[in-house]
Amino acid sequence: MSFVAGAAGATEPEDNRVTFTVGLTNQVDSFNPFLGIEAESFEMWALTYDYLIGYSMEDMSPMPGLATEWSTSDDGLEWTFDIREDVLWSDGEPLTAEDVAYTLNRALTGEVESATWGAYLDGVDEISAPDTTTVVLTLSEPSATLPLIPVPIVPEHIWQDISEEEVSSYAAEPSSGEPIVGSGPFRFVEGQAGGSLYRFEKNPDYWKGEPHIDEVVFRVYQSEDPAVQALLTGEIDFIDGISALQVESLQARDNVMATNGDSPGFDEIAFNTGAVDVETGEPLGDGNPALQDQAFRHALGYAVDRDLIIDRVYQGAGQPGISIVPPAYSTFLWEPAEEDAYTFDLERAGELLEEAGYTLGADGLRTMPDGTPIGELRLFARSDSKTSLDTLNYFQEWLGELGIESSVTSVDSSNLTDIILEGTFDVFQWGWYVEPDPHSMLSYLTCDQRGDWSDTWYCNEEYDTLYEQQRVELDEDSRVDLIKRMQEILYFDAPYLVTAYSTNGQAVRSDRFTCFTPQPNPGGVWLMQYGAYNYLNARPTGTATECPDGSEVTIAGGAGTGADGSDGGSGVNLALLLGAGAVVVAAGAGAVVLSRRRGTAGDRE
Amino acid sequence: MTIPASADVASVTTPKPRSGSGSRSGPGYRGYVLRKCLGALASLAFMIVLNFFLFRVLPGDPARTLGRGRFRTREQLEAFNRTYGLDEPLWRQFLTYLGNLVRGDLGVSLRYRVPVSQLIMDRLGTTLLLVGISTILATIIGVWMGIRSAWKRGGLFDRFSTGGSLTLYSMPEWWLGLMFIAVFSVGVGLFPTGGLHSVGVDPWSPAGWLDVARHLALPVATLTLAYLADYALIMRSSLLDEIGEEYVTTARAKGLRDVQVRDRHAVRNALLPTTTVIALNVGFVVTGAITVETVFSIPGLGLLATEALKVPDFWVLQGAFLVASAAVILANLAANLLYGLLDPRVRT
Repeated sequence: MSFVAGAAGATEPEDNRVTFTVGLTNQVDSFNPFLGIEAESFEMWALTYDYLIGYSMEDMSPMPGLATEWSTSDDGLEWTFDIREDVLWSDGEPLTAEDVAYTLNRALTGEVESATWGAYLDGVDEISAPDTTTVVLTLSEPSATLPLIPVPIVPEHIWQDISEEEVSSYAAEPSSGEPIVGSGPFRFVEGQAGGSLYRFEKNPDYWKGEPHIDEVVFRVYQSEDPAVQALLTGEIDFIDGISALQVESLQARDNVMATNGDSPGFDEIAFNTGAVDVETGEPLGDGNPALQDQAFRHALGYAVDRDLIIDRVYQGAGQPGISIVPPAYSTFLWEPAEEDAYTFDLERAGELLEEAGYTLGADGLRTMPDGTPIGELRLFARSDSKTSLDTLNYFQEWLGELGIESSVTSVDSSNLTDIILEGTFDVFQWGWYVEPDPHSMLSYLTCDQRGDWSDTWYCNEEYDTLYEQQRVELDEDSRVDLIKRMQEILYFDAPYLVTAYSTNGQAVRSDRFTCFTPQPNPGGVWLMQYGAYNYLNARPTGTATECPDGSEVTIAGGAGTGADGSDGGSGVNLALLLGAGAVVVAAGAGAVVLSRRRGTAGDRE
Repeated sequence: MTIPASADVASVTTPKPRSGSGSRSGPGYRGYVLRKCLGALASLAFMIVLNFFLFRVLPGDPARTLGRGRFRTREQLEAFNRTYGLDEPLWRQFLTYLGNLVRGDLGVSLRYRVPVSQLIMDRLGTTLLLVGISTILATIIGVWMGIRSAWKRGGLFDRFSTGGSLTLYSMPEWWLGLMFIAVFSVGVGLFPTGGLHSVGVDPWSPAGWLDVARHLALPVATLTLAYLADYALIMRSSLLDEIGEEYVTTARAKGLRDVQVRDRHAVRNALLPTTTVIALNVGFVVTGAITVETVFSIPGLGLLATEALKVPDFWVLQGAFLVASAAVILANLAANLLYGLLDPRVRT
C-alpha cells in the first residue's frame, strides 16, 4: 500500500479531520424515510438510521441488525424479534422495541408511509412491543419475505409530533446545525433534498464501533465528466454511477481503483404478450398478434447475441443475461439446461419459426401462419438510456435477418410508461433492479399486475399459482424450488428476453482511502450497497493498520496497473489540454474566416 | 435615464428619439403606462391558466415514474395519488391550484416532497447570481466591443472581436465549460470543478464570498463568452447605422473630437436597440442556464425544471414556469416603459 501525501492537489484539512467526500450523479429525493424513493436516499438513511435486519456482504441474505435474534411460530403467523439494549439515539435517548414497533406500525397503517413501505408488510395485522426488547408481528397469513423489512427505524419521541397530514411534506432535514435524530453510524448535519451537498458527522458512540472517518460529504454532480475530473483533482475521494468507458480509463491510473460492480438487476427486451382491458377482458391497443404466440417469442430468444450486446453496447461492463433473478442472489439462481439455453443461433430461430408456421414468403419476409403479413414490429427504446437504443438497433438487424421487419423509436421513459399501459407497442427495452428477496420482481409478471406494474401484459395461470404458493411458503428449500420453477416458465414463455445483468461503475482514490468490501462479494459495488458497511470500514490509506476482513476483500492502494509510472494528472490532462488548444485554434480560424468574408462583402449601403 | 445630448441636432436631420421638457410626464405617457400595465396583467393571467394545463398534457404518470421498482401494489399507487391530490378530477386540481396561488402557495413537489416555493427560493439566488453576473458582464464587454468594432469597421480589432465572439456564440456551452474545467481546474488547479461552495465554509462570511466567487468564476466566464456576441453584434450594427447619418457628419463638421462624436452623439442613439435586447434577456435570467448549470453542477432553476420534466413533477414545473414567465413579462413591461420614455413615437 502506498501513501501518496497530497497527490494531485489533494488537500489535507487543517484540523486533521478525516473527510471522505463522495461524488454522486443523482440527487437525494427525500431525507424523510417514509417518502424517498431514489437509491441515493436509501444510502443517506443507511448512514442516519438502523434497521431491524441487515444484509450480508456475500449475497444480501438476512443478518442481525437491531434484532439480534428472531423466530417464527410453526404456523408462520407470529414473528418475534429480540432487540438490542445498547443502542442510543443521537440525542441520548435509548432506542427500544417501542421505537421499532412505532416505526413499523406507521409503515403499515399510515397512508403516505404505507405507499412507500406497505408491500414489505404483506399479511401483517398487528405490530406490538410487549417489552422494551421484544417486537412481535402478528400475521393473518404467512409471509415468506420476512424477516427482511428494509424500513429505517425512526425515534418515536421525535416522530410522534409529525402528524399524518404533515408527514407528506416533512423534509426530515437538519436546521441550524442540529443533527437529525437517528441511531446510525453517522449523523446528518447539513443538506437538503434536491440540493447538491450533504454532510454527515460520525457517531462516536455507534454500537458497531466508531467509524474511522470523521465526516462524510456527498456532492452531487449533474454530469459525469466533471465528476471524474473532480476525482482526479482530489475534490472527491469516491465516485458512483460512472460509465464503463470512464471505469476503463480510471483503471489505468495508479492512485485510483475503479470497478464495474455487480448491482443486482437486469436489462431486458420485452414483448407485448397481449394487452387487455383489465375490467372488461377486451383486447386493448394494437399489439402485433405474432408476439402473443409463445412459439414466436421463444424463437426470438435465439435471435439475440447477448455476448455481442455486452461487448459493444455495455462496453464489457455486465454479464450476458439469462433469468430475472441476477446471479448475485445465488440461492434463487436458476439456469437452463444446456440444450435449452438461448444461444445466438439465427438458423435455429428460423427453424423454430418455420415449425410454428411463420414461413418465409417470396419477398423474403415471414408471414403469419394464416399467410397474412406479420407487418412491421414497433420497437421502443428509452431516450434517457444509450444502451436501450443500441440494444434495439442490434435486435432490429437480427429480426431483419430472420425476415421480420421492424422500426425503432426512441421515447422518454415516462412516455413509454403510457405507451405500455395503452398496449400500443410490440417490443421495448427496459430493466429492473431486483431486491435481495425476488418476491417483488416475481409479482410484476403476475396476471394481477396487468394495468399496474406488468409491462408485458403477461398472464400465466400456472405461474400465478406458483407465485401464491411461494408467497406463503416458509420452508426455504421448497420456496427456492418454486421460485426456480417460476423462472423456468418465464424463460420458455419469454415475455422478457433478459439481455444483460447490469453493473454500476464506481471509483475510489486508493491513495487516500482503503478497506472497501464489495457487496455481493466478490464482484459487487463498494458503496450504494444494502447497508452502510463500508462507511464504517473505510479508513485513510497509510494510517490503516489492517483491514478487518483480510486481504481478499480489501482494495489495496496502488494495486492498479502502475507500469507506466505516470503520476496521476498528466495523462488525461494532456488530451484535455489539446482539446483546449483546439478551442483557441478554432476561435482564431473563425475570426480569420469571418474577417475575410467581411472584407469581400463590401459596404452595406 | 439619460437624454441624448445631441437631440437638438438629431431632431433636425432625422426623427430620432427626441427629448422635450414635457415628454417625460406628458399625458400621452401616462396613458401609455396604463395600457402597458394592463397588457402585462392580462398576459400574466393568461399564463397562470395556460401554466396549469400545459403540463397536464405531458405524457407520464408521476406515481408510476417515481414508484417503478419501489411500489408493488395498486394500493401503494393509489395512496400516493390520494396524498398528493392526483386522484382528483382536473377541474378540481385547477381550483386547488388557483386557491393555493392566491395564498402564495405553489404546491408540494412530487419528487422532493417539499414546498415548491421553498425549492424555487433556494435556487433563485444561485441562478440570479450566475446568470445575472454573466449578463451584466456580457453586456458591458459586448457593448464596448460593439462600439470599438463599429467605429473602426474592418480594422484588426473588429475582425478579431466579431469573428471571435461569433465563434464563441456558436460553440456549445457545455463543451466550452468542459474545456475550462480541463484547463483551469484539472490542469492549472486554480478553480474547483463544480458546485457553488466548499464544505464547512459559511457562505455569508467574507471567506465564504471569496469561496463562492472562486466556484462561480468558470461558469460565469463560460456564460459571458457565450452571451457576448448577442450584445457585441447588435451594438455594432446599430452603431454602423448611425455612423452614416447626417447628424454625425454635422457633429464632425462642428470640429468635435472623434471620441466626442462617438460617445456623445452616435452611441447614445445606437443604444436603443441594445436596450431592448438587454431588457428581454434580463427577463430570461431566471430561467437559468441549463447546460452550464449541468456542466458545473450548480443547482439553479434551469436544472430544477429540466429534472422535473422527467417525472413530470407538475407543481415544480408550474412554479418554475410561473416565475420565469412573470419575470419575462415584467422585464418586457420595464423595457416598454423605458422605451416610451426614450422614444416618444412608440407611445401612440
